[in-house]
Amino acid sequence: MYKLTGVNKIYQKGRRTVPAVRDLDLVIEDGEWLAVQGRTGHGKTTLLQILGGLDRPTSGIVEFDGQDLAQLREAQVTRVRAASIGFIFQTFNLIPTLSAAENVEAALIPLGTGAAQRRHRVTAALESVGLGDRARHLPSELSGGQQQRVAIARALVKEPKVLLADEPTGNLDESTRDEIIGLLEKLWRELGLILVLVTHDSSLARRAQRVGVMSKGRLTIGPDTGPAPGPGSPAAPPPEPGPGPDPVQDPRP
Amino acid sequence: MFFITYLRRELRRRMRQAIFIALGLALGIGLVVVVTAASSGVKKAQADVLSSLYGVGTDVTVTGATPKPRAPGSAPPKNAQTFQAGPGGAEFCQNGKCHSAAGQTVDNLGSQYSAISASEVAAVAKLRGVSSAAGGLVLNDTQIKFPKKFGQPGSSLPQPKSFNVDGVDIGHSSLGPLSSGTVKSGRSFTAADADSNVAVVDSGYAKTNSLKVGSTVTIDKIKFTVIGIVTQPQSGSPPDVFIPLARAQAIGTGPGGKLTSKVNTIYVTAASAADIPAVQKEIKKLLPGDTVTTASSLASQVTGSLSSTAKLANDLGKWLSIMVLIAAFAVASLLTMAAVSRRVREFGTLKALGWRSRRIVSQVMGESLAMGVIGGAIGVGLGFAGAALITRISPKLSAAVATPTGLRFASNGPGGPQTSSPTASHTVLVPMHASVTASMIVLAVVLAVAGGLLAGTFGSWRIGRLRPATALARVE
Repeated sequence: MYKLTGVNKIYQKGRRTVPAVRDLDLVIEDGEWLAVQGRTGHGKTTLLQILGGLDRPTSGIVEFDGQDLAQLREAQVTRVRAASIGFIFQTFNLIPTLSAAENVEAALIPLGTGAAQRRHRVTAALESVGLGDRARHLPSELSGGQQQRVAIARALVKEPKVLLADEPTGNLDESTRDEIIGLLEKLWRELGLILVLVTHDSSLARRAQRVGVMSKGRLTIGPDTGPAPGPGSPAAPPPEPGPGPDPVQDPRP
Repeated sequence: MFFITYLRRELRRRMRQAIFIALGLALGIGLVVVVTAASSGVKKAQADVLSSLYGVGTDVTVTGATPKPRAPGSAPPKNAQTFQAGPGGAEFCQNGKCHSAAGQTVDNLGSQYSAISASEVAAVAKLRGVSSAAGGLVLNDTQIKFPKKFGQPGSSLPQPKSFNVDGVDIGHSSLGPLSSGTVKSGRSFTAADADSNVAVVDSGYAKTNSLKVGSTVTIDKIKFTVIGIVTQPQSGSPPDVFIPLARAQAIGTGPGGKLTSKVNTIYVTAASAADIPAVQKEIKKLLPGDTVTTASSLASQVTGSLSSTAKLANDLGKWLSIMVLIAAFAVASLLTMAAVSRRVREFGTLKALGWRSRRIVSQVMGESLAMGVIGGAIGVGLGFAGAALITRISPKLSAAVATPTGLRFASNGPGGPQTSSPTASHTVLVPMHASVTASMIVLAVVLAVAGGLLAGTFGSWRIGRLRPATALARVE
């Protein structure tokens, strides 16, 4: 779970100060899907970077699973990122010299996982995104959609608690975009992780449970609109109690 | 292994740059190896020159002092031959008696070094650290034939013909220059030859003068029979003729006159290499006026292209190879920094995946080290090739040692009184070799690793300060 309190991020550009995030308060429950929309330059990516520990806020508290990421040392934040947070980028950010399997494996290296276990998990991750037969291909030998699938596999192979996606379909055509979002939604339901998706696309944003809009550094969250989480998700409501015994059939005197 | 796979793929991706860096390092390292091998070869050539001059077993050499030139107009020492030229003609004098020089032939067996007595030789032999000591006479037989019109206007001093003559202590055959010779024909000296007019001749001199066993060679107007011909290391300036010490003492002259029971050189063998400096010091105390040298200090007396090449290898060669190496290191560092700069987004992604800075740094260092090792391997190969080429070409280096003739000429012409002591210079050709030793290979490996680490350090200093957010924002 995330709990952000009074978070500000101000960039200094010479004598000018640029507030990227202002007075942000936000709670993201476990298993929740939050979409963040907004115009370019209004702080969406900065918010994502703060949630992922890639950047520190100028002030405020960024609580993740009981730890304030803003106060941890760099090495500690790196460990949290390695174990619990997966990233998906608009430009895929695959290592061009490594194959699909090796790119996915790179996410397991910081965890010190043994080679045999790494191979097993990588294979499973690639198969979960439908690329089991593309393991040895280099990124240059894959289409945009396939590259993004590899990036998703890389993000999920370490079984994170959080998936942060920054415009994951921004560089894809419409049909591939739907494929990727469909895949993300499916995985979100199955794994019950927190999914924070930054997007320009309103149609994609509407598929989330909640939609927030960043405008000049301020976040406004709309009412819950999206699909209910899957039964495996912590955000899923508890099952409703079943009906009582049929009074006609009740044999008691 | 992931580390090796990533390293290999990255080097393949920028193969051209990797080859450029490796070749640059190879050139610097190869040059260091070649210069070191050449320098080592020159030092060996110098050692060969010295050992042929003073013998294989000689550690310390004592040479009699060279007297100061006498002031013009002062009386010459007894038995000294002097030459004078003036408006009245030219004449040479000895012991106050003067003859016209025209049409005369001078044959003088002389030494320019002061004499050392037998008791002094015995005292040196008894010093602590001395294993054995033997006296010898280093002489030069000079023949000058003056033409009949010598002394008249327009005539010039004829060029002397000279050859080296060594008086050998037959009882200490393991010391002195003859010890490094191999008998090619005939025989060497025996105890019975101590007072005989017999000579052992160097093979090169014998060939030049058409001498064989049984021929005669004239020394100081006395005929000596050649009993043996020896082959000596030509990398030095070996004596041309050897005669028994007693005969050399009987007929030779020095600055002080006759050399009866005297020597002008002592060959000393130390008990061990560690004793040499102490022995040198003790002999200097015992014979303060004489010159006491070891092999290393004698090297400075050898002139010629051998000496120039030694300076070239040690000075210019050394600094050139250092400059090339520094340039190679600098280029490698700059290119590595540029490569890291191009991979900022990649490293930002790795940080986003949870890679620590030092893991990324070790990857970059590994890539640089790999290029350094490849460069080092090629550099050693280049070094071997360069050394082999030098050995194959085997350039002949000249080594010249000036030998005084023992004659002194005084003249009183328009320029005022002058004296001159003609010397005869013996030049030999020394083949130059170069070989790569294990220590040079170790040096090459150390340089290769250092080059790789340096380039990697410069390249990766930025990674530690890289903020993931900034790196990911980079547009490539």
